[in-house]
Amino acid sequence: MYGKTACQLVKEFASGDKGQLVSFNSDLFQQVVAECSQHHLELQSLIRKIQEEGLDIQTARNADHYGALIHHLALVRNKRCLMAYVYNRAEIIRNLLWKIGHVLPQEIEEKLCHAEEEHFRKHSTALKSYMSKVMVDLTVDMVPPKDPYIKVRVLDDIGDGIMLSDDKTANFACHSMHLLKRTDAEQFVSRGQMEELTG
Amino acid sequence: MTNYYDIDDIVMEEGTVSVIFQKAASGVGIDPSSVMDFIETGSKVELPFWLAHELQMRQAVSVNVPSCFDQKTRLEIQADSAGVDLRSRCPFFYDFGCKIAPIVGDRTIGFLLLSAFKSRYKEILTKAHSVAFPAGSKFWTILTKEEINLYETAQSAMASFKKWRMGGPRFQIASVLGKKRKSTE
Repeated sequence: MYGKTACQLVKEFASGDKGQLVSFNSDLFQQVVAECSQHHLELQSLIRKIQEEGLDIQTARNADHYGALIHHLALVRNKRCLMAYVYNRAEIIRNLLWKIGHVLPQEIEEKLCHAEEEHFRKHSTALKSYMSKVMVDLTVDMVPPKDPYIKVRVLDDIGDGIMLSDDKTANFACHSMHLLKRTDAEQFVSRGQMEELTG
Repeated sequence: MTNYYDIDDIVMEEGTVSVIFQKAASGVGIDPSSVMDFIETGSKVELPFWLAHELQMRQAVSVNVPSCFDQKTRLEIQADSAGVDLRSRCPFFYDFGCKIAPIVGDRTIGFLLLSAFKSRYKEILTKAHSVAFPAGSKFWTILTKEEINLYETAQSAMASFKKWRMGGPRFQIASVLGKKRKSTE
């Protein structure tokens, strides 16, 4: 049936949990594009046939007209599926920038196609240049903190010599605990390298 | 007008309906029963909703009421609405019903949807606030997509309320990275 492959692509996107990415399926994507070209060819040949019979394209309502119509509708449908696939993925990718910062972890970067990596990089550059213009870091937490410092435990060996905002360096060995400025700790927590301690 | 990029809407419009062609169409391979690429007037074909809808607007086909709104389903809903497996009949029972009703011109579908939703809604909401069903339990398998969204919204509202009352860490690992603490090394 027409449009099956395209819908399969969309379903694959929907099968993941909300806000999660699955690898870009360029194989299926290319298949849908090829299907579109096929529809286009058949549409053209049907229209040529109507013209050869000396009928007016605008008013002819014969079998060829409805055949061409079905191909046209299948094209439009395939286009919608492809657009929705790319659009919704791009939205998730832009959200990644706000959630985990300007550097993507390896396991997520593998799932992007080349154009999506480019999109992420450009979005990141645009955001950085805007933030430097207005001189505010927009990626920090939206809720004002009660205390500028938080206690964290390091979950991953991040290493030493990490520069903090007060020009000091700290050694984040695994399982060590620190009292850090919120803004410094935030990016590590969202990447899963630290956890916040409460109480 | 629904959102052009809406994933759920796209998946829903893939649902098949059976139509009868009022006009002939050539050069298309959508009728599996015909050997030639030609559809005769009066042939009965299963089409996805997106195609059937557009063709119906141009008076090329007439659409039959899909099987998920047949008499058998109606009787089951009347008997015990909460226990009917709507998911296997149509994953988007309500939205699909809303779309199909004006096309087939069946006025009773509206009442069917309303009465089914009213009685099932109460059940879902009480369960969502009291018990957590493990994924894959029988309760999940009979809900439509709309009802699952409703259930999850109710659960997350409850979780947010508890978090607000008890307090807890403000920062958490980004949800995209998953629950695991360490990456597999």
